[in-house]
Amino acid sequence: MKSNKLSLRLSLLFILGAAVIFPLNGQKKLQTSPGGYHGELDFPVSWKRYYSYAEWTRIMHELARQYSQLADIQSIGKSRMGRDQFLLTITAKATGKPENKPAMWVDGAIHGNEVNGITCSLYLAWYLLTRYDYDAYVRELVDRYTFYILPGFNVDANESYVTWPNTANNPREPYRPEDDDGDGLYDEDQTEDVDGDGELSMMYIEDPAGEFKLSTDGRRFVRVSDPKDPARRFRLLGPEGYDNDGDGRINEDDIGGPDPNRNFPADWNLQQGNPYPLSEPETRNVYEFWLKHPNIFASFHYHNTGRLIMFATPPRLQPTLTPEQRQQRQQQFQQRLAELRQENKYAQLFDIEVPPEYTEDMRVQIEVVTMGARILKNYRPTPSGRVGQAQAASYEMFGRYAYLIELWGTPDFDADENGDGRVSDEEFLKWIDIELTGEGWINPHKVKHPDYGEIWVGGTAKKHVTRTPPARYMEEEALRNTHFVLYCVSQFPKVEIAEVKLTPLAADLFWVDVTVKNDRAYPTSSDRAVQLRKAEMDKLIFNASPNITLLDLPSGQAALDLSNRASLAPTAKGKVTEFRLKGHDSQTYRYLVKLTGEEGWVEFTVSSKNGGKDVKRLTLKTGS
Amino acid sequence: MSLRSSPPRLKALLPVIFAGIFLAALPYSATAAKVPIKFDAYHGYTQTVEYLKAVARAYPELTELIEIGRSTLGKPIYVLAVTNMKTGVALDTLIPLRHSRNEVKNVPPMKRHQGKPGQWVCGATHGNEFTGTEVCLYIIDKLLTGYEKDEEIRRLLDTKVFYICPVVNPDGVYNSVEAGMSQRGNVMLRDEDNDGRVNEDGPDDLNRDGFITQFRYKDPKGEYIIDEVDPRLMVRLQPGEKTTRERYSVILEDIDNDKDGRRGEDPVSGIDLNRNFPEGWFQSNGFPGGQGDYPTSAPEVQALAEFFTNYRNILMAQFFHTSGGFTYRPMGSSPDTAVHPKDAAVYDFILGKKYLEIIGEPVPEAWQNPADIEKFRANLRGRTRNRYALERGYEFPRGWRVSYNEAEDRPYGYGLQADWVYMQYGAFSVTTELWNPLRDLPGFPELKEDASRVEIQRALLKYQDEHYGGKFFLPWKRFRHPELGEGEIGGWVPVYAGSNAYPGEPLLNVCEKHWQFELFRARLLPEVVINEVKTRILYQDANAAPAKIELSGNQALIRKGQAKGKLTVLEVKAYIENRGQLPTHVARGASLPHNREDVVWLLADRDKVKFLLGTPWQRLGVLEGQMKIPVAVREETPGRTAGQRVGPSGPGPISGFPAQRPQAPAEPGTVRSLSPSSREVTWVIAVEGTTPLKVVVSSQKGGTKIKDVVLE
Repeated sequence: MKSNKLSLRLSLLFILGAAVIFPLNGQKKLQTSPGGYHGELDFPVSWKRYYSYAEWTRIMHELARQYSQLADIQSIGKSRMGRDQFLLTITAKATGKPENKPAMWVDGAIHGNEVNGITCSLYLAWYLLTRYDYDAYVRELVDRYTFYILPGFNVDANESYVTWPNTANNPREPYRPEDDDGDGLYDEDQTEDVDGDGELSMMYIEDPAGEFKLSTDGRRFVRVSDPKDPARRFRLLGPEGYDNDGDGRINEDDIGGPDPNRNFPADWNLQQGNPYPLSEPETRNVYEFWLKHPNIFASFHYHNTGRLIMFATPPRLQPTLTPEQRQQRQQQFQQRLAELRQENKYAQLFDIEVPPEYTEDMRVQIEVVTMGARILKNYRPTPSGRVGQAQAASYEMFGRYAYLIELWGTPDFDADENGDGRVSDEEFLKWIDIELTGEGWINPHKVKHPDYGEIWVGGTAKKHVTRTPPARYMEEEALRNTHFVLYCVSQFPKVEIAEVKLTPLAADLFWVDVTVKNDRAYPTSSDRAVQLRKAEMDKLIFNASPNITLLDLPSGQAALDLSNRASLAPTAKGKVTEFRLKGHDSQTYRYLVKLTGEEGWVEFTVSSKNGGKDVKRLTLKTGS
Repeated sequence: MSLRSSPPRLKALLPVIFAGIFLAALPYSATAAKVPIKFDAYHGYTQTVEYLKAVARAYPELTELIEIGRSTLGKPIYVLAVTNMKTGVALDTLIPLRHSRNEVKNVPPMKRHQGKPGQWVCGATHGNEFTGTEVCLYIIDKLLTGYEKDEEIRRLLDTKVFYICPVVNPDGVYNSVEAGMSQRGNVMLRDEDNDGRVNEDGPDDLNRDGFITQFRYKDPKGEYIIDEVDPRLMVRLQPGEKTTRERYSVILEDIDNDKDGRRGEDPVSGIDLNRNFPEGWFQSNGFPGGQGDYPTSAPEVQALAEFFTNYRNILMAQFFHTSGGFTYRPMGSSPDTAVHPKDAAVYDFILGKKYLEIIGEPVPEAWQNPADIEKFRANLRGRTRNRYALERGYEFPRGWRVSYNEAEDRPYGYGLQADWVYMQYGAFSVTTELWNPLRDLPGFPELKEDASRVEIQRALLKYQDEHYGGKFFLPWKRFRHPELGEGEIGGWVPVYAGSNAYPGEPLLNVCEKHWQFELFRARLLPEVVINEVKTRILYQDANAAPAKIELSGNQALIRKGQAKGKLTVLEVKAYIENRGQLPTHVARGASLPHNREDVVWLLADRDKVKFLLGTPWQRLGVLEGQMKIPVAVREETPGRTAGQRVGPSGPGPISGFPAQRPQAPAEPGTVRSLSPSSREVTWVIAVEGTTPLKVVVSSQKGGTKIKDVVLE
């Protein structure tokens, strides 16, 4: 087995070395796009490769060092095998403390083998930091909000996947010992790289009764279709490995415990989320961080594969319908969707009925994932699963808007030549030859196996063909996903005082109408947060010069003109009026004030935990 | 051919040799207790830990002290494993692995006592319920001193292991016993009142006497009056009750430390640990029902959850609480239909029956004759509105019951520990509420079962005057409260305030009864053994030669190679039995994650042995015990199936039990059931030359045993 693990690549050092030529100053004056230049070269790093744990955490440290006004690095805890789970906190420190700003949480690769999630989340951090000085859009978001970015969630398994020979699907879970086969031993029969080429592919053995033969070009094993075919036959043994415990089977008790994305406390069950909620250090560290950071407003969780935007949904109503009603409902749904798509081919609609107290959450999720489909292009939005999943816990336990992104997918669109919607073995191999110039395929070759004697090894390599994209394909996907995260953050609530309108009533009495608004897609707190009693109401605070008194009105609808229903507005509730602004929402409150003397002022402050603050002052004058 | 004497594995023997040298060097002072213990005062956390460390030092051959985690304030939580440390088999030392990738060392070596059936006993999940701690210490003392002089205990510790955790909640016990402040929960560093400061306003020892007692002051709106019989007692008025006597308010000794206008609103006391376990923690609507931020959020609860996860050999579990003098068996968070009828039979007809006998309460007639359950059910019909009693065929007696509120069909609580251990771990767990002063105090006046609280208080006050010199109650003394003005401080000393057995004889009686109950339970543990291994030589050749066959037309040409040496074809039959009383799992235990069926291995040198019939390891299923479990057939309510969580808590963690995970296909014909508790396993192997063979049976909760194969 080749041992290139942990050795920090010299090339990386070289790249990072180039970066420090620039002054360690991340906050120059905003200089928009001089000749299209966007700051990427301030910190040149290749997004066309996978990094080992030592490498990608090194990049994080370097980013935090070079952009110290914008970024901090910390370990949120250690994995089972003692690796730090490093987190970047990104926000403009000059505009406030990170914990005082609404925040986006992004994590990658909770499943050990889904390491393109590391690239995607690390790319987001790099993008925010390098563009801050050059991009007004990025600058506003980084000034106003906080980004918590945990590129590698399941660090032990992530590292094994990148550095050691593994199949495309393993290792996936944290390293809690588990007796998969029930023989009394723990993790005793793992996969091994039998031919020592650094990859785990498939083992075949010659067997007259086998189902496979070598293809005519000798590059792969193909199923025998004609039973009379006289070709040499082979039987598939499975992924490369030895029979470590001598029980006649290979790889039946590989490393890995419970699925970390079934280990969260939302709709948790024992069978999938065992042995108990947040039993793994990796999941517990993350959840404890969440508990200590109530400023997190939304979260992204990168997985692969399938090109899906999975979004956490409210609890659903399951109406009991007759088959006819069901069919009718389905038809209406399809019709409505078809109508929407005439306007916008990315329009989304979901045949889900939620309780009335959750309609705003459902509305905003549809709006956001519709934009997601537009930004990510060939991604499909779909409601996410619940059982013990991180994004479900993020929504159900904290009331945050949460998204699970399934990155990448089998290369259907590139490889499917005859357009039948699937990729045949021939098409796949051709894709490998053309797009990957042959990389990622291991031609069948003979190997001596200590348990089986002479065997053949060949097939798809892990790196990086099916489960994780070929390295050169990652960057564009990372860029689009970054755009989607930024779009979501740009839609975090922002409360403003839209208008303060004065109407004289009589003598020294005046009506003051204050309109507050939130133009963004997200409400100031989610329906779920309201149900969890975690939501803080938005406040409209009245303040005035001493010669202005606020008259205490009972709550109700006050009319400026009885003959005009449109002049009704709800009365403000004293000096502090509480309400909740939904997405794209505005509300008007009416005050009755008395001015003594000639001049005074009223001041209104709208304040929202997640939507920020806005103040407007109006001077009142009487006379000439 | 000699398969007879297998060379002992030096590695496996080394600990034994060292232990031998160590023992030889120890002056072995016969039967006197090496660490004497008395029960005339409570041990609290500090003295309990000192005792545990002392016995671990004094009895290295019988104990292992394991730190399973730490409390919020960093105090270690200890489990003392009590067993003969020289017996027991660690399966992982027996099976050599080849060509393993050694990048990751994530699997700790197994301990020998993990290969023995285990019993868990713990106390003081609630900090102020430390009688359980004392019972744990008593049991440790009985086991360790009994090993030398009592044949039964010696056998028990040779074959079984006790895991005893006297203090689950160190911070709560420390505050309750050492710091003079009754505290049920753990300590949590939490800002309860959201003022940015943590635990800044709890109770205060205003008169600096070392105890948090009570402050009473005259208050026209007060809800208390002075008792007319014993003026030391304060009697609470019923809501709306009128009185002509002076009214008082009674509060804990406390001032408003943070000057926010409230007293005691942010104390160190945290959450109820017995509401922080995963089973039934959520309500059916998806919102939290239990305490803590999530199930196992308390470090003390996680320590237990992690211990149980790693020690799969426990089949009996006791969680001592106080008080009341009765036992709750699961479930509290789900209706009784969640309990498998077979387990319900073990709980009620076997464990419950014995428990009632020990505490001296009548055993329900139905439990004496479970076969006639139909008759008892018919008798109940129309006489009870409890549908679960009807399904069972009996109402629970006072002394042995479930905590689920059957009358109102709602959970007693969410996230209960004993529910979790039964449902998600698979052990016969119970919660015994120790101590009932009405029954456990010698010479205590006969009071009716429905005696009022004040009647009991008067009697207790008198009792402690006569038997304990009145030291359990501090007389009221004038005190000027900085916020409330004149008043008096006094009342029950917190440790004696009522929920714990009085030290000395009453406590010893409680300890002895519950030691007897735990001993009874330990006697029921399974015990899987290899009764016999039989061999039969099917073929033997002193100098066998391998051959190749060439087919040509209808002719087969056999070409013999050079003779390679001795070849024996051998039939091996192993006879395995569970000689213990109970099965090796609870009814659905084998299907729970991290649990497995009992297995048997035939160990042999891989280079010399070929398996012709049967694979190296075989699944045996779950071996039943010797005891016939008198399962009463239940009447099922339509729509309810035993094993499914139903009722208000809804579909919980375990909804239905999926089939066993896909495992090695059973080799047909190689494992034969001779009886529910015994199996015959057959292998045929080809042996080149000579090599030692061993049979190992490994049951998670029935023990691991090894036997050399001796050729007949």
